[in-house]
Amino acid sequence: MKSFGSSWIARTGIVVIAAVLVEIISIVQYRSLRDMMGEEMSLRTRVVMGTMANEIEHIFHLTEATMAENEWDILRNLPYPDSLFPVVSRLIDDNPHVVGGCLAFLPYYYPSKGRLFEPYAFKNPDGSISVVQLGSEAHDYTLNPEFRWARDSLKNSWTDPYFYGPDSLSYATFSVPVFDSKGSLAAICGLDIDLSWLGDTLNARQHFPSSFSLLLTRKGDLVTGPSDGRVSKNDVARIVDIVNGRLPESAFPGISIWRTSLKTNPYWQLVQVYKEDEVFARINGLRRKSMFFILLGLAILVFMIKRYSSNESKLRKASEEQARIAGELSVARDIQNKMLPKEFSADIHGALDPAFEVGGDLYDFYIRDGKLFFCIGDVSGKGVPAAMLMSVIHSLFRMTSQKEESPSRILAALNRHLCEGNEKNMFVTFFAGCLDLYTGKLNYANAGHDKPFLIDSSVCLLPAKANLPLGVFADTQYEEQSLVLAAGASLFLYTDGLTESKDKQRHNFGRTRVQQVLERCLNAHTHSPGELVLTLRQEALDFSSGLPQSDDLTLLCIRFQPSAILCEKITLSNNTEEVSALSSFVKDYLSRIQMDRKVSAGLRLALEEAVVNVINYAYPPGDKGEVTVYADSNYKEVRFTIVDSGFPFDPTAVLAADITMDAKTRPIGGLGIHLTRKLVDSVSYCRKHGNNVLTLTKKI
Amino acid sequence: MTTKVEEIDGKLVATLIGELDTAAAAETEKALAPLLNAGGKDIIIDCKGLEYIASSGLRLLLSVLKSAQAVGSHVVLKDVNDVVKDVLDLTGFVSIFDFE
Repeated sequence: MKSFGSSWIARTGIVVIAAVLVEIISIVQYRSLRDMMGEEMSLRTRVVMGTMANEIEHIFHLTEATMAENEWDILRNLPYPDSLFPVVSRLIDDNPHVVGGCLAFLPYYYPSKGRLFEPYAFKNPDGSISVVQLGSEAHDYTLNPEFRWARDSLKNSWTDPYFYGPDSLSYATFSVPVFDSKGSLAAICGLDIDLSWLGDTLNARQHFPSSFSLLLTRKGDLVTGPSDGRVSKNDVARIVDIVNGRLPESAFPGISIWRTSLKTNPYWQLVQVYKEDEVFARINGLRRKSMFFILLGLAILVFMIKRYSSNESKLRKASEEQARIAGELSVARDIQNKMLPKEFSADIHGALDPAFEVGGDLYDFYIRDGKLFFCIGDVSGKGVPAAMLMSVIHSLFRMTSQKEESPSRILAALNRHLCEGNEKNMFVTFFAGCLDLYTGKLNYANAGHDKPFLIDSSVCLLPAKANLPLGVFADTQYEEQSLVLAAGASLFLYTDGLTESKDKQRHNFGRTRVQQVLERCLNAHTHSPGELVLTLRQEALDFSSGLPQSDDLTLLCIRFQPSAILCEKITLSNNTEEVSALSSFVKDYLSRIQMDRKVSAGLRLALEEAVVNVINYAYPPGDKGEVTVYADSNYKEVRFTIVDSGFPFDPTAVLAADITMDAKTRPIGGLGIHLTRKLVDSVSYCRKHGNNVLTLTKKI
Repeated sequence: MTTKVEEIDGKLVATLIGELDTAAAAETEKALAPLLNAGGKDIIIDCKGLEYIASSGLRLLLSVLKSAQAVGSHVVLKDVNDVVKDVLDLTGFVSIFDFE
């Protein structure tokens, strides 16, 4: 859990760092773009405003030029007051910007004309020019400040703009003093220009929809601005206040104001206003777009990390699970391994290599009553299910063969158990045998398993009927076969893991090769069970070298060494008088094998008790019956087999006598079987061919 | 197998010589019949010559012991050899008989 937490923090850290880095880059980019854009705007604005100023100046210059060009005409006609009307008409006709012109004479300049005389021409809406005498007591131009200023200063000047007429249009007047031939001031000539169009002209070519230009007088009064309502009068007033320093620039946030002045009279000011968000709209848009992609990228990163980490945690879980299973499998392997007998001797050797941790192969052997019970089997399938069934089979074999000597009946019992509830339809090929270690008599039965090899003077297959494997049909009968092994003969059993070992070309190891190897060993006199098992196992490994083992490999080799040094038997009738004969037989036999005196006495008692039991109880009272005792031994143990044809009776099933009771409560009988059990190493019973067979063995 | 029962100093002394196997048990049982009616006398079973005993023999000894204890007499097994002692051991008789 700890590593999980820290890796989670690490992954979150990666995302956060990536986000911060990308954001820093994007901010730096945005800032520098903005700066660049600002510089660009500043440059462009200066150019645009310069152009505008030039245009405005040009109008003024034109007006001034008009005046200059027509001055001679005025002067020439000055002596003839009435000719001055066409003069003013011509004056304004010359210049399209000029909408009106006047000659305002000093009072009483022409005595005939009275105090006020002002020829005035103006353009009608249709373009025609009308000329009137404007001066009158009702229109006393001498009160006009511009007139006065021009009269007193004798200088050319431009008036501040003013509003006039029904539409309140904006006008400005250029005033020039007119001197007569004597050099005296005669009149003030005024040219009115219409400024109302100027505002729209200035604002017609704005780069941004909300930006606009204003024209202000030198003193800062508004001359004109956009007339299309793109900006409110209020805002215009605020901007004018800012330009005039009556308000700080922060009073109108989000705008930038540029200003320039005309370089010539009347030195008006041109003001350009931008809304910043419009100016930077493109880079703001760019930034929004890049933010979107950054967020998208981060989201993808988070998703991928999450996905990766969930995969990783799935993987980790899986690998933990795998480790747990591996641990359990290794325990299972140990258990399975320990079930198999490992006490190999010179005459028996086995090996089992599972392809996986656990396998479905098995072999087993053990000695009971001087007989070697052995088996080899292969459960269909591999791995855990096969291994579990293998364990079951192993236990069943052990259990069944305790009471049953006949391999065919052992197989039949195993088969019945397996067929019960065998829903998975698993089956087992199985070979079981029982070798009498005294006589070499081998009984065996096969359930679909590979035929073992018989190694005697040559190598050949043991003639074993195939029969059906275990677990197929509950009522399968297994044929029992038998033969007597010659001294030194061996039986080599294997599972198909040997014959089906594959090389790189997918060739099978094959039975022929097994036979060849066995023959080679036989000829080289290296054919003890241990040598055969190890050699074949190594050959199979070499054959499929470098390839993973595909199937469980199991080998078992058994050699028969004649071990019975003395076999005797005695047959007695069911009469207790016969006990003496039995005792003589036993004493005689044991002395011949040089058995220890005390052990001999014990064995004699054990035999007497067992046989007396048969004599007394096996047959109905009065009936004649027989009991036969076989004695044989090898260098390890001595074995007595007591056979009778009486009532089936298993003395080993009798409960142990309680020998702790006092004399009063003790039953008189029941001690015989107890003594027999105590005096030998093993007592086993089986019913065979209608006979009770009781076998007593005692280690030497 | 020879069995002899005599009375010495007010005690019944049974002497067993030979092998008390199942075949000999019936005969020995008859010979030991006086011990079953000991009438309160203590019993000594001399096993010096007893070479072998089977469960049928043990049964006889147990019968003697039971009847003696019923009338309050003592039963002593005398000079028991190793082989027989082992058998008495295996059957728990060691704990119910007295030995000399």
